Amino acid sequence: MIAVEEVSLTRGNFTLSRVSLKVPEGSYTVLMGPSGAGKTLLLECIGGFKKINGGTITVAGKEVTMLPPEKRSIGFMYQDYSLFPHLNVEENIAYGLKMKGIDSRERTDTVDMLLSSFSLSPLSRRYTGSLSGGEKQRVALARALATKPSALLLDEPFAALDPDARLSCMDEVKAIQKDNGLTILQVSHDRDEAYRLADQVVVMDKGVILQTGTPAEVFSYPNHPTVASLAGFENMLDGTTGVSEGGRTQLLIGKGSIFADGIFPGGARVLACIRARDIMLTDPAMVRDVPLNRIEGEVVSTVVTDQGYQVRFADPFSLTIDIPGNQLSKVYRPGDRVVALLAPEDVHIVRLPGSPVNGGSAS
Amino acid sequence: MRFHERFAEKNRRYSGNSLAVFWIPGMILVGIIAMALLVIAIPVLRNPEYLAGAASDPVVFQAFLVTFLAGFCAVGILAITGTPLAYALSRTDAPWKGIVETLVDIPLVLPHTVAGLMVYLLFMSRGLLGAPLGEIGLTFEDAFPGIVAAMVFVSIPYYVNAVREGFGRVPVQLENVARSLGASPIRAFVSVTLPLTTRHIMYGALLAWGRAIGEFAAVIMIAYFPVVISTLIYYRFNTGGIAESQAIAFLLILLCLVLFFVFRFLTRRAGVYDDRS
Repeated sequence: MIAVEEVSLTRGNFTLSRVSLKVPEGSYTVLMGPSGAGKTLLLECIGGFKKINGGTITVAGKEVTMLPPEKRSIGFMYQDYSLFPHLNVEENIAYGLKMKGIDSRERTDTVDMLLSSFSLSPLSRRYTGSLSGGEKQRVALARALATKPSALLLDEPFAALDPDARLSCMDEVKAIQKDNGLTILQVSHDRDEAYRLADQVVVMDKGVILQTGTPAEVFSYPNHPTVASLAGFENMLDGTTGVSEGGRTQLLIGKGSIFADGIFPGGARVLACIRARDIMLTDPAMVRDVPLNRIEGEVVSTVVTDQGYQVRFADPFSLTIDIPGNQLSKVYRPGDRVVALLAPEDVHIVRLPGSPVNGGSAS
Repeated sequence: MRFHERFAEKNRRYSGNSLAVFWIPGMILVGIIAMALLVIAIPVLRNPEYLAGAASDPVVFQAFLVTFLAGFCAVGILAITGTPLAYALSRTDAPWKGIVETLVDIPLVLPHTVAGLMVYLLFMSRGLLGAPLGEIGLTFEDAFPGIVAAMVFVSIPYYVNAVREGFGRVPVQLENVARSLGASPIRAFVSVTLPLTTRHIMYGALLAWGRAIGEFAAVIMIAYFPVVISTLIYYRFNTGGIAESQAIAFLLILLCLVLFFVFRFLTRRAGVYDDRS
């Protein structure tokens, strides 16, 4: 387990403020956040490369806060894998064993075993400069695992790979993690990576942890505008809460209003987060009385996507609406009057910082 | 020929033509160097007796020996002290770093006589460093250590700047990974950073050595004797005439060319880690 408690650090204008997170033993945690959130800095603090101003870091039950990196038993992998260019594949993997004083026979056995299990045997004498992205990643993983670390820290390990290699590398890493019961903390900016790999997602921004949970929890119920943005809501509308009735709250957005599930105090500034795929589009004449939010407006633009159509809708407020190809009964054109239908449970409310915090929860 | 190949060919030829604008003024400098070599070489080769005389002169031989040996000692001292300084500078962001960098560059901008005066005042028998070192038997005035001291002083920036640039090119992430794999800071430096800086260290050493053996003003101010080759050329120029000094200069050029060539040949693969070629 990796336990970070109340860790603080100031670097120039940037501050990690009292950051706490737990990576359970044998689990895969993905740390997400926008650029400049402090994710890599936090990883480097855990790895021991940056001295922290306060707080404690515990790895596998042992407090390592004051220990140098070489005494922490934490494997570290950077985005570019940081393979040693002056050593060949075999020497790269053997490096940690050599530093730890493992005798040459045991070293050779361990390296041979890793070379074979990572399918690197044919490349053992190659220098790392000539390897492909996927091969480099396998060497870096084998090198990090050679010394049997208590935890692995990965800094955007898939970002430099081409899309095909990325998926297979992700599956490989996840399989290795499961098979070996590894504790991994990985930095990522990609939601798909989190869904594919993570048991737990931690979102941070500006040096502060914003939300922790399973990928489904965090991306379905974001609690902060930054998390909502990472969660990929295509519609994030500024609004104000109005009256609440029957377990629903009215939201005043632009020149219109919609209802969202949950009870919120009136007059609070909120963000209404709606996925483009959750909105249905139809002709005004087709619907009269439906137990849904009914928003009449005008089509501004339509774009063909690989899934179908994406429609921009405006007046009384802007919406982006995805229409799957198989459900398209009519092609809308700019200027068409249409009705957008939206279920109140598909409107997720995020309180904007500074707004009242009492009241019920959404969805 | 496919379109993109034709385009690339055309592009290459075009850039070749446009380079003429750069070659013409550039060749003025190359021409000056070539002419300078010729004005030394042609008279010497026309009158080889001077060359034979210089080559068999024990004073000339001793001057070469002293110069090259002092140059090697200076480079050795720079390697031991300048390498850690270059590394520290490459890894520091402290606000006082600029002051240290300026101090390192001072020998580069000073007239050589001023550098010589500084070395003399510092290492003379009553000097700030000369006096205490004299007490343990290290004399600098008119002695071999004085030549080495002057050579080290003038070549500091050449070595430190070249090596610092090399260290700067080694990503700190490589050291971090080495540390995470169990290496202490010193072992990470020796096993990762240093090998990756080999070419810059060699280049810095070559620059510093070349600068050191060519030093004249700073050397004669602290140690006229034992005579180094530049002092001997100047002395023979004043006493024996152009022909005598030309012959020694020609020998020096030949030796340096051979040494530089051998050095480059022996180190052509050092610090290159690529199995694609």
